[in-house]
Amino acid sequence: MSRLTRVGWLPGADRLSGRCHCGAQTEADDPVLLWDWLSAHPAHPTRAAAPPEPTPPPPHLVTDPALIRRRATAPA
Amino acid sequence: MTSVVRNQWYVAAYGREVGRDLFSRTVCGESILFWRTRGGLVTAMSDRCVHRRFPLSEPPSHLDGDTVVCGYHGFTYGADGVCVAVPGQTRIPRTARLKAYPVVEQDSFVWVFIGDPDRAAGTPIPRAPWLDLPGWTAVSGMEPLAARASLLVDNLMDLSHETYLHGGYIGTPEVAETPITTEVDEEAGIVRVSRRMADAACPPFYAKSTGITGRITRWQDIEFTPPCLYRLHSRIAPAGVLPNADGTDPDAFHVEVVYAITPETESSTHDFWAVARDFALDDEAVSDFLRESNRTVVLQDVAALNVLERVLTGEPDGYQELSINIDTGGLAARRMIARLSAAL
Repeated sequence: MSRLTRVGWLPGADRLSGRCHCGAQTEADDPVLLWDWLSAHPAHPTRAAAPPEPTPPPPHLVTDPALIRRRATAPA
Repeated sequence: MTSVVRNQWYVAAYGREVGRDLFSRTVCGESILFWRTRGGLVTAMSDRCVHRRFPLSEPPSHLDGDTVVCGYHGFTYGADGVCVAVPGQTRIPRTARLKAYPVVEQDSFVWVFIGDPDRAAGTPIPRAPWLDLPGWTAVSGMEPLAARASLLVDNLMDLSHETYLHGGYIGTPEVAETPITTEVDEEAGIVRVSRRMADAACPPFYAKSTGITGRITRWQDIEFTPPCLYRLHSRIAPAGVLPNADGTDPDAFHVEVVYAITPETESSTHDFWAVARDFALDDEAVSDFLRESNRTVVLQDVAALNVLERVLTGEPDGYQELSINIDTGGLAARRMIARLSAAL
């Protein structure tokens, strides 16, 4: 039995379509959730989970600013 | 927890780098000495004398026939890493042997097996035959990357970044605009990402090397065999020109772009790159152009990933990433690498 898992991009849409090697198929907007669904083989959920509700973005913490200050500038 | 997948073959060098001079390279955190026997075979063994850990690659260490002599006290090792002479006494301690690595020279690369040597024979080495195949001409190089290998995997699995990071070289708007398909072949251990542009601008990388002046049909078919070997099958043809029904493809230009992603340490990587073509085989000007252009592109990636590594190192773990459709292939590669790590 083939062990080929495939994810396509639905024509004209931003949705992804996934097909497990067992033949099970689903659609999702998020590749992480789609891979979670495909990787659950053979216990595929009814459908891929919905993305979580957005929360306010967190501040970006820096533990060692010296490291970042020393970064090189990318060449032009 | 280590990010390096063990019990795998990794590219350690190009065959041309290993000769009758002692050559050292760190692979997956292990310092390895390479040299070629008088019969032409590549050997790989630990680059530290068992006596006082002097690097065997360091002068005045040297080769003497098919033995390597430590430049500090004269411990002498054969091609299998076993010590054959120590100074001042005839008894050689049984533990006087260097770790020897399974090594294979194939497709212009020197591959070493990192992990349990008994598992080497049963672990296939992925192929990149175009690098050493009649009918093809290849240029290649290696750039040191001060970043973890996974950042380069992310980079190469999502070529939409060509549009932004490599504009003027290999990027055109169509790359980022064109949907991809992703396949995971678990039996073969391959992640495939395909992006096929029917009518695209021809970037300078291909316009100058092929001579095509108009718009092109451009196919990018990636095959990544984690953890090390990445192949991009690139097909360039005048817009609308497709392969024949029998599979022949005489009116297209084919370029095989190969990367070997070899961890040096947890946070640094050997970025081996090669570009093979099936046209203008003897044209040195085309070779020079592709070599310089691809090296420039690689260095653009290196500069960006070095910055990213510094940023990641200077920030706490645990940030939530955001992935979108273009990341489908990269996410698949990460999952396959995680499975390889878990299977150890």
